[in-house]
Amino acid sequence: MYSVLLLSGGKGSRMQESTPKQYLLLAGKPMIMHSLERIDQLDDVNEIIIVCDPSFIDSIKQMLHEYNITKNVVFVKGGETRQESVYNGLKAVQNGNVIIHEAARPFVKQNEFKSLIDYPEPNVIYGNDIPFTVLTGNSHVHGVLNRSELINVQLPQKFNANLLRKAHEIALERGDVYTEDSSLLYDVLKEEIRVIKGTDYNIKITNPIDLLTGEIIYRNYISNRK
Amino acid sequence: MKTCIITGAGSGIGREVAISLSRTADFTNIALLGRNMKTLSETKSMMESMYKDISLWDINFQEPEKIPAVIESVFEKYGAIDCLLNIAGYTDPQPLLQTTLESMENTYKVNVFSPFMLMKETVRYMKKTGGKILNVASTAGMTPRPGWLSYSSSKASVISMSQTLTEELAEYGIKVYCVSPGRCATKLRKRLAPNEDPSTIMQPDEVAEVICNLISQSGNCLDGQNIVIRKQISKK
Repeated sequence: MYSVLLLSGGKGSRMQESTPKQYLLLAGKPMIMHSLERIDQLDDVNEIIIVCDPSFIDSIKQMLHEYNITKNVVFVKGGETRQESVYNGLKAVQNGNVIIHEAARPFVKQNEFKSLIDYPEPNVIYGNDIPFTVLTGNSHVHGVLNRSELINVQLPQKFNANLLRKAHEIALERGDVYTEDSSLLYDVLKEEIRVIKGTDYNIKITNPIDLLTGEIIYRNYISNRK
Repeated sequence: MKTCIITGAGSGIGREVAISLSRTADFTNIALLGRNMKTLSETKSMMESMYKDISLWDINFQEPEKIPAVIESVFEKYGAIDCLLNIAGYTDPQPLLQTTLESMENTYKVNVFSPFMLMKETVRYMKKTGGKILNVASTAGMTPRPGWLSYSSSKASVISMSQTLTEELAEYGIKVYCVSPGRCATKLRKRLAPNEDPSTIMQPDEVAEVICNLISQSGNCLDGQNIVIRKQISKK
């Protein structure tokens, strides 16, 4: 069985809203519930760990009841950084396999979780091509990256929970900082990580314009009404 | 093993729908919800009960707050809810200056708040499997008449709720239908138009036929619309 670690600790500062983005309404529904409803349908998942600010636990619990989420849900306090939040969540994981997802990606579909679960390797991530040129530098250009070698990393991701936890502990001891887990696992333990193709619809809601785009994605990609 | 909930099955359109559905293979389990167990029992006795599990549930739609417990019990009995038919209705036609707050509340409890609660509680389960919801509104909700304030406005609300929820529930594979029958020979119609000869207007079984067609496969592209049901009456 699998645990799903749902990151919901974002402060939403880039959204210019007092409410963190994962609790804003998208298509009339709190953003976090879009992912939770789909995770709740996965037969291979028996545990959902929500990493969040403790002040939101009561309101999330209320929503879990209202939306009839029936899987076992555990709450873990978010950390100061994403890396710390994931590590806090990993310490609560009861299964040998974990899927990491974030509440700010509400357009994930059940079959994307299933594809990760069914893939016959322990560490699998979604990655897309980079459709634009990436330069290095600050006020002046220093160089250009070869985009054919670059991967636009998407969540959800699947990992061996014990290996990822171990990698986090080593990174913590070293004081190394990562913003994402496949890079951490690869860098620290040199584990093989499979990349499979994601979808352009599975965007992360980060800036105000993403909410506008998100409404269109919902109508055309999530809603079954054509 | 599909399950259908029907409200208002004690008489009129609801009874005819229940009888018709019992003759089809669409649903194995049929739950009849209402406050008059005697009339519900009569309906059950008119249904084809072989190979069907037909159950009666005592609920007064003047008390919509009691709906969650009933829906939970229906789900526990059958393990799924695939279809909800909100057919129960109420009317107390009065002109504005004679309409009491109590009358308005009573009308809205049956015609608006109960369908709302029935949909809300049913969707908690139905969203995991998909399904169909059908609400019976009325042409009175579109073309109101003097003296029908509470009834007309409540049915306008049913039309709007249906259209809103068509969009909201589409992602779960739940289709929401809305039908607005015109003049139909029911007890409710008798209160709205007491001097009308019922034999000269549309009959409940004719509305039931449309409803049963909608919730069968043939209704696939008709959700989200306010479907008016009217009969052309021959003057010959």
